[in-house]
Amino acid sequence: MKLMYDLPQADKAAYDAAAAGEKMMYCVPFNMYEDRFVAGWTVVTDKHIYCILDGKILTATDLSRCTVFSTEVLYGNCAFYASIDGITTLICRFLSGRNLSRYSVLVNACESLAEKLRNKEDPGEPVTNDERERFCPKCGRPFVAGTTVCPFCRDTKEVYKKLWALTKGLRLMLFFPLFVSFFTLAIQFILPAIQKVAVNDYLTNKSIYREDISLADPNLQAFLLIFVAIISIDLFQRAIGVLQSRLSAISGNKFTLMMRTLLYEKIQTLSIASISKKSTGDLMGRITGDVGVVQGFMTGQLPSLFSMAASFVLALVFLLILDPVMSLFVFVPLPLVVYLVYRFWDIMQRRNRKGWVLGYHVNLFLQDILNGIRVVKTFGNEEREIEKFNARTNRSARQNESNAKLYDTVFPLLSFVVRFGSYLILFYGNYKLFTGTMNYGDLHQFNSYANIIYGPLITITFIPRQVSAFLTSLGKVLEILEEEPEVADIGLPIDIAIEGDVSVKNVTFGYDSYNPVLQNINLEVKKGEMIGIVGHSGCGKTTLINLLMRLYDVNEGEICIDDVNIKDISQNALRSQIGVVLQETHLFSGSIRDNIKYAKPLASDEEVVAAAKMANAHDFIVNLPEGYNTMVGEKGYSLSGGERQRVAIARALIHNPRILILDEATAALDTETEKLIQDALNKLSKNRTTFAIAHRLSTLRNADRLIVLDKGHMVECGTHQELLDLKGFYWKLVMAQRQGSGFKKKKEAAPAAK
Amino acid sequence: MSTNEKTVSKAEETKDKKAEVKAENKKEELKKTDKAAEAEEEEDEDEEEINPDELFKHRESIPLTPENAWFSASAGGLISLKVKNAEGEMEEFERVVIRRSFPVTAPNEFLSVREPDTRKKGRGSEIGMIRDLAIFDKDTAAIINAELDLRYFTPEIKKITAAKEKFGYCYWEADTSAGHVSFVLNNPFGNIRKLEDGRILIADMDGNCFLIPDPEALDRQSYKVIEIYI
Repeated sequence: MKLMYDLPQADKAAYDAAAAGEKMMYCVPFNMYEDRFVAGWTVVTDKHIYCILDGKILTATDLSRCTVFSTEVLYGNCAFYASIDGITTLICRFLSGRNLSRYSVLVNACESLAEKLRNKEDPGEPVTNDERERFCPKCGRPFVAGTTVCPFCRDTKEVYKKLWALTKGLRLMLFFPLFVSFFTLAIQFILPAIQKVAVNDYLTNKSIYREDISLADPNLQAFLLIFVAIISIDLFQRAIGVLQSRLSAISGNKFTLMMRTLLYEKIQTLSIASISKKSTGDLMGRITGDVGVVQGFMTGQLPSLFSMAASFVLALVFLLILDPVMSLFVFVPLPLVVYLVYRFWDIMQRRNRKGWVLGYHVNLFLQDILNGIRVVKTFGNEEREIEKFNARTNRSARQNESNAKLYDTVFPLLSFVVRFGSYLILFYGNYKLFTGTMNYGDLHQFNSYANIIYGPLITITFIPRQVSAFLTSLGKVLEILEEEPEVADIGLPIDIAIEGDVSVKNVTFGYDSYNPVLQNINLEVKKGEMIGIVGHSGCGKTTLINLLMRLYDVNEGEICIDDVNIKDISQNALRSQIGVVLQETHLFSGSIRDNIKYAKPLASDEEVVAAAKMANAHDFIVNLPEGYNTMVGEKGYSLSGGERQRVAIARALIHNPRILILDEATAALDTETEKLIQDALNKLSKNRTTFAIAHRLSTLRNADRLIVLDKGHMVECGTHQELLDLKGFYWKLVMAQRQGSGFKKKKEAAPAAK
Repeated sequence: MSTNEKTVSKAEETKDKKAEVKAENKKEELKKTDKAAEAEEEEDEDEEEINPDELFKHRESIPLTPENAWFSASAGGLISLKVKNAEGEMEEFERVVIRRSFPVTAPNEFLSVREPDTRKKGRGSEIGMIRDLAIFDKDTAAIINAELDLRYFTPEIKKITAAKEKFGYCYWEADTSAGHVSFVLNNPFGNIRKLEDGRILIADMDGNCFLIPDPEALDRQSYKVIEIYI
């Protein structure tokens, strides 16, 4: 990430004049000043912070008087503050997306600079930051998230090249329909020529008509030959059409299959961080919708586009050769017709898009309300929801109605305009016919070629939009394919058999680098220890276990298992030896047996039952009508929260993990069930390293050690008793919970006393 | 003053409750004779020493009026506050931040006046709430409005001067009340929001927020650009 920009000349001059003899450490942009957008610069030297705008020094802040620096995310902008002599002062404002990470680095850098300045120490060298720049160096516009691709600067040719690379192995199949379409094109032009001969030489040639015609007559023979030729050419054309359709069906499906597989594989390898930034609907849309658009274009629109363009040019040439004067009647109205058709589709497209958006909103609304129908009912809001739905669906219906009315009125008119050229030809052609300068056959041939030009006119105006839609979809597909996984295996990852020693060294981490969730965490865990993680919600407990599983990579420090940095262990080996039970359990569609076996597909039924027994799930499972074969998931048997939790625990236990992670695993259970599971887990955790998060502190009474997190820092660490004696943060939590339960007791007792 | 009275009455209420609880406990003592009950009661007494409210202290937010709150511009270009708190004591804050509760629907009402968030202490707590900015005098309102204008930086789009779509990204240029800008939308259907009152809010990839007060009032070319998204 760039922390030392080059100052523009005017600003540089101002800086040189003001800061002679100072060493420039950082130079970053700021984007807002008062009520407007600006291109200003914040320059940090070894003595001052300068804000420079339009060749003037706005402010010069003496670093030695500053103590605390901070950034704050505002709405539509961010602020950089310094505490000067204890007074918080606004230094500058900037755009979050562009510069927040930069200023977050400055916060720490400036604090240490100021400290050094006060202690009269050497300021040292500026810190650097290897975070990837997220803006295009050429145009300054943002890259696609997770890539170094700037859609604005991207050459369309390069996209086609990528697509070309993707079609490897399918090219012959994809392009065969193209060759075939040229073939049909040739026939399209031969046919009118033959028809012309049939009309001119036979149909309208009265001199060859005789009463006593026999098969031996050469004229009849020739005519029959032409007749057969016309029929067989037509048949042949249709046969080729069938072949072409079949081929494009095969190649289209192959292409879709390949793209979908590629995308799905890629999505599976992406890190949680980048996947959680995208919505499920968006990803699904890319796998199904966008791939469909790309495929449709490649196998449907592209070949027809080629043949249309070729026939257009060919027809023009033929017309000119046949009759240059009459061709004028074709060409003159052409630009007007093209313009009208294009305008019409432009208007229709906008209106249709509007209609689509309204319809989409109706769908969203329906989905939202139907999912929450229980809430609607419990609040008795049925009437209001009916009204809201009516309003939306009415708007959508009105728009669609008006679109349809416009289309149905204008389209016939437009078709008339398109055909107007033919009328002109007919008129002029007949004139020539009457004057004997043209015969029927020539007129027929000419008219056929003219139709080749006007025929696809309506569809041809679609092409720019189809190309743009295709490029958008292709861009979306490539976006995923080009994304580099943030958490990736090193070149030669190690497959180790985990023993269970875990050490966390100086770990600092934030989902966004400028907002650390965990700071400087240190922890040594011996094999087989049970560690309880305690703290307020949002203090970083779940984040810590996410890091242990390496769902995210740490920003600073390292996490080692058995003295091996987890970055060196293959992700497969790592996660297959860690068992996880989360508070939110997701069971896949399938039987309970399948779900338990998810972590170990080859497990025997004995193992399944044993795991279920350990998780105290066996009894309720056996009591289900179909036992372990009961279908669960979205459309299956609905298990209660506690039952799902126990199935999830069984799933985590079946592959006998060396490290067990329980993130509020028993929070959804009643006290009695929790106790049973706790006992089971205690037995289990004997020989394995366990990390358990719980809000109910009683859950953690068997933990060997407890660590207490507060606002991302580890504030306390020790056994339950040690921490109680400390009378610190943990003690407060324990007391608050006891008090809470004590209060309940009294409340229950109160009515009894009356 | 009314707030002080409330607090006093609250305190009295809690005292009353405690007395009730104690009385009930005594009744229970009489009923229960076995050792278990005694043990339980001991525990109860143990707990009574600690008030959970005191374990995790939260500041009590009060309504801020010209009678109990005095805002001033701070030396650092931000806002300082002197306030008579719930206990009737004067408190001074070198810096407070002001957040709108309803930035879209009621920008000048329900303003939350808070201690700034810090890295060490985390989220700052609410000092009080300004029900309606109109009750303050002009000068104070001007100071607060200046802070709000910084915090909620939403320039108004006057004219969309260029619009280009490439690979599903919208590259727009516009004249706004804060000058000419070019910006990028990665998902125009999600990033362009029509508010209930007909205004349009646009959030771009850089963290900018733009407002179009009345899309119909835009020139035809600009309107055509946004028309399909709203």
